[in-house]
Amino acid sequence: MAQAMQVLVVDDEETICLSLAAWLFKAGYRVETAGSGQEALTQLKQRLFDIYLLDIKMPSMDGLELLAEIKALQPDAAAIMITAHGSIQTAVASMKKGAVDYLCKPFDPDELSLVMERVAATKALKDENEVLRMQLMEQQAAFLEGIVAQSAAMHAVLADIEEMAPSNAAVLITGETGVGKDLVARMIHLRSRQAQGPFIAVNCGAQTESLLESELFGHERGAFTGAVKARRGLLEMADGGTLFLDEIGEITQKMQVALLRVLEDKHFQRLGGGHPIDTQFRLICATHRDLLQLRREELFREDFFYRINVFSIHVPPLRQRREDIPVLADFFLQKYNQETGKRIEGFTQNAMAALCAYPWPGNARELRNVVERVVVLTRGRMIGAAEIAFLEKSADACDSDGLTLKALEQRHINSVLAACEGNITHAAKRLGIDRVTLSRKLKRYQASLAASGEIK
Amino acid sequence: MDPAGPPLSSEVVDPHEPAHLDLIPFGIIEPMISSVVAANIQAVVGLFVRTHPPSELPADAFITMRNQYDAAKIIHTIGQADGGAPFKLGLIAHDLCIPILTYVYGESQMGGSAAVISTARLFDTRQEIFYQRIAKVAVHETGHLVGLAHCRQIDCLMRFSRDIEQLDRLPLLFCSVCEYEIARQIKRFINMGTAGK
Ligand SMILES: Nc1ncnc2c1ncn2[C@@H]1O[C@H](COP(=O)(O)OP(=O)(O)O)[C@@H](O)[C@H]1O
Ligand SMILES: [Zn+2]
Ligand SMILES: [Zn+2]
Repeated sequence: MAQAMQVLVVDDEETICLSLAAWLFKAGYRVETAGSGQEALTQLKQRLFDIYLLDIKMPSMDGLELLAEIKALQPDAAAIMITAHGSIQTAVASMKKGAVDYLCKPFDPDELSLVMERVAATKALKDENEVLRMQLMEQQAAFLEGIVAQSAAMHAVLADIEEMAPSNAAVLITGETGVGKDLVARMIHLRSRQAQGPFIAVNCGAQTESLLESELFGHERGAFTGAVKARRGLLEMADGGTLFLDEIGEITQKMQVALLRVLEDKHFQRLGGGHPIDTQFRLICATHRDLLQLRREELFREDFFYRINVFSIHVPPLRQRREDIPVLADFFLQKYNQETGKRIEGFTQNAMAALCAYPWPGNARELRNVVERVVVLTRGRMIGAAEIAFLEKSADACDSDGLTLKALEQRHINSVLAACEGNITHAAKRLGIDRVTLSRKLKRYQASLAASGEIK
Repeated sequence: MDPAGPPLSSEVVDPHEPAHLDLIPFGIIEPMISSVVAANIQAVVGLFVRTHPPSELPADAFITMRNQYDAAKIIHTIGQADGGAPFKLGLIAHDLCIPILTYVYGESQMGGSAAVISTARLFDTRQEIFYQRIAKVAVHETGHLVGLAHCRQIDCLMRFSRDIEQLDRLPLLFCSVCEYEIARQIKRFINMGTAGK
């Protein structure tokens, strides 16, 4: 025992509390006492203990109720129940509810000493395992979620991540689609103090306002037609972890106000009312849009912008950090080798040169898709220039006359989007379709574009 | 003589010696046992002990239902008595308990002023073993009085004994850490005593 175990004794009989506390104190434990369940819970608001000794029979809140409360608060709490002779059945029941042991009043001193030592030893071992598990998880995560970085620009991004992660402040990640914003967000979460908590990712661009609203806030039963059951919102689920709002540039002003309120109050209500629900999460947002520009156009609220942009990370497009292309290509090759069981050794020099010359409008995601496709098709041990020749071909294919209706639509959408400076809401209006339809079209378009390596 | 001073019991032996610990036998205790306890506390802990003539059994501490004396109550009573030495150790032949434990060999206020030990569970037909056990429990409880908690060393008297066999295996000695701590506490305590005069 490096540090003295902290024990809380809860018993309504003062003499029991005191004599037990005195005994435990002599045995080297740090002891506090409480005369009732309520008093114990008040103490628990200040601090947690390693071991709890709980009298089962107490007026108002009994030991079993208290045990449940403690377990809810501290699932790994070690609780020993104190019972009177003749009520051993309750004690056995309490073991089913998570108590580690029980003692019958009055205790034999040797039994008390044995039980305490056993529980303390288990607890110490558990704490040790927990530390080990965390270390292991961190290593695995770093391995699984590793960010490949060769360029100075990506190393700067990694340095930013390390610097910002431990703080609780909001982070805004900017960069084109496919540069790895999602990956950066996950990395920040894994390196943060809430790494053990959930990482909840929401794509704000992919759904209507009302859908997004009910996703985030959840709803009470009967809040709207179709709300037959109450549902927890993602804001609740992110409690103790990280909420990642991707494509934050797409949310409406009304949503901005609603989210701003949650960020400031740290609680919210589900749709359809109900009591306020506390939630504490670290907020990370990402966008491919220029939020400053949106702000100037008054499409983005200034107060919300400052809320989400305490720290900012910009991930540059792949074409501006070409040193990353070979390492990323190798990284994806290994990944797909593993997934398909192939043993392709690498890219020929010519093939690599072609990869490096290509502009990668879909960034790392496009590169990933290209490598995946090539791995499936390649028979030999090396990927040659011929295997990736489709990249160049598709680059000029679009200029030919034989455009399909779909390709034509994509072209038109692109030019309207460009005229609206990428603002989906505006472009949708001009195209005479709603925002969701446009988003969906763009997504499908991007997916097929990235999958085939087509551009334009 | 200070007429306004604390009314020292007329039974106190040799009131002129500045004792550190008053040994208070309750009921009938073999004089030899008192002597063994006093000698060992003096030798092992380094406190000067003054042995009182036997006191009456503390009737208010008797728990009829358990046929035992409540150690906590005895400690409370002798701890509150005016005058005498700063430490007090009760000695009783009856079985002791505290409310939460079925029995105790001895009980003390850690870092406090009063303790009590019982010979009831220490008996052995071989007298020297019986005396040794009593001495160990007395010195152990005195260690608590001075402020020591239980020690994890196997060969230290401040280790908690789960049963009589474990007690028998312990030496009548402290480990070096506990010994150092005792010396430090006693030095502080004696300095405080002289500074107070
Ligand atoms: N630096 C990198 N190292 C490894 N994988 C990367 C890197 N950048 C992007 N990726 C991969 O490319 C894909 C697209 O990245 P993602 O984070 O989804 O981009 P974004 O969120 O910016 O659209 C993901 O599969 C991601 O794992
Ligand atoms: Zn002890
Ligand atoms: Zn020791």
